[in-house]
Amino acid sequence: MSQRAASVRGITLADAWRSFRTAIGLGWAVEANWSDPFLFVVYTVAKPLAAALILVVMFDVITGGQGTEFLQFLIVGSALWNVVFGVMGGLVQSILEDRERYRMLKYIVVTPSGLFPFLLGRSLARVIVSFVAVALTLFVGVAFLGVELRPNLVYLAPATLLGILAVISLGIFMAGWCLQLRQEAWHYPEAIAGAIYLISGAIFPIDILPSFLHPIAYGSPTTWWLEASRRGLLGHGSPGAMGTLSDGAVMLFLAISTAIAIPIGLAAFAWFMKRARQAGLLDMVTGS
Amino acid sequence: MSGYRGTPATNAREAAEWSTGRVLWSNLRAVIGRAYPRVIGLTREPSWIFFEIALPFLAVSAFVFVYRALDAPEEFIGFVVLGGAVTSFWLNVVWMMAAQFYWEKDQGNLELYFTAPMHLMSILAGMAIGGLVMTSSRALAVIGIGSILYGVTYSIDQPFLLAGVFLLTMIPLYGMGMLFASLFLLWGREAYHLAELLQEPIYFLGGVNFPLVALPGAVVGVVMATLPLGVGLDAMRQLAFAGSGVEGVLPVGVEIAILAAMGVIFLVGARVALRYLEHLARREGRLTLKWQ
Repeated sequence: MSQRAASVRGITLADAWRSFRTAIGLGWAVEANWSDPFLFVVYTVAKPLAAALILVVMFDVITGGQGTEFLQFLIVGSALWNVVFGVMGGLVQSILEDRERYRMLKYIVVTPSGLFPFLLGRSLARVIVSFVAVALTLFVGVAFLGVELRPNLVYLAPATLLGILAVISLGIFMAGWCLQLRQEAWHYPEAIAGAIYLISGAIFPIDILPSFLHPIAYGSPTTWWLEASRRGLLGHGSPGAMGTLSDGAVMLFLAISTAIAIPIGLAAFAWFMKRARQAGLLDMVTGS
Repeated sequence: MSGYRGTPATNAREAAEWSTGRVLWSNLRAVIGRAYPRVIGLTREPSWIFFEIALPFLAVSAFVFVYRALDAPEEFIGFVVLGGAVTSFWLNVVWMMAAQFYWEKDQGNLELYFTAPMHLMSILAGMAIGGLVMTSSRALAVIGIGSILYGVTYSIDQPFLLAGVFLLTMIPLYGMGMLFASLFLLWGREAYHLAELLQEPIYFLGGVNFPLVALPGAVVGVVMATLPLGVGLDAMRQLAFAGSGVEGVLPVGVEIAILAAMGVIFLVGARVALRYLEHLARREGRLTLKWQ
């Protein structure tokens, strides 16, 4: 018998789609249905808004409300970052919850459709919630803080698609990596997302970073995704050196960095899964 | 002589016919026993050190760079570093105090606590003392690294008063954690969401990254009445950056009085909530059920 359940004869794209769809329902039930609806709405709304408001007050204390260009930069960066946390957190939490808490991961892995479509569907609820947070933060920015959106959909749509693919690749890499860890795996998405937050120019121009971090910042697809999204939403780029690049160059760098991130993420996940099977990590409970 | 009575009792403490000395000793051992894994964890689990220093430090660094991008006065960098250190304690209170009983329930320890002949407050006190020791090392690391890396200059005229305010802040902060431990258990499956909810919104309301006076007056009033993190941080900033002309919400003396009052209120509240919880656990028998 083959080691990989996915190689069972008769498994089709339709089967994977069915697994993906079922996992979406399960993910949503775990995320939302088990919570008090009021608490869930408050949780969904309050966390991203508070994160954005911290930056708004910091900006206001120093500038007295002058220089709205930087405020727009802050609001859009803070809003979009919810997607990175949502995708990375969603993928990693899903895989860890199913291994550690519900202890279903081993059963899912041995089903013919395999883990990959299930994992994507299972984490989708958090991703959807993160998009709600993006929309809400942008709405508050426009309605109350004077953010002027000038959306360029022709530019924004491919930027969003490429950016999300890049972030999913990072999330898949993290999910596979976290399967290998003995303890503290729950903290990794937050730590890695926090590190990427720092180097991606999410809330300050990357020129401010120490120069030894610049190559890492320019190599990260999230940097280019944020820059492209700012241009697609606001009609202009970030303050600093990044803002001097042409729209085409930003999109090109986003496409290149995403094209590198996707195969790396997929290959790493496949390797991590193979190692998890061999080392018996799929039903490991760390008690963390 | 001591032993267990054969007559019905409402709890394990009542069932144990122990002398006062033995009761005190048992509770003290419970405090030490629950604090022990957190203190010893400092050396046994090095990955904790990385995460508990790295996570607040990453956030501190991001906010420091925002202030640098805005050409803010240097004392604001110090505000952020100090706020980041205090954030370590808040995270410890939320995840390792408030949510702890919920995790203990999932791991099967909670029913052992209910059936042991010692007070649950001893368990919570042990968690608080252990957490305080554990987190102090992280907070000191954040302050040390942040101060050196970002060149923070402190202006401390009254170091003993600053140390006293810090310790006084910890009492209501961990008292709040003790109170939340019972409430989280009652609220059940939302524990994770609640813990998440008590992060960014509290950082905003507590003025972790900016002076609290920058918030609207009504919001500041609510914070001063309910949130020891905000009150303590405001007092500590006034004392740590005395020469920078930093403006506090209230004079330090008044904030000390508020913290003392909060300490009493939260500890009494935690005691009452625990008594109710214990009553419910015995009457309904479902508080120890997993995934509820």
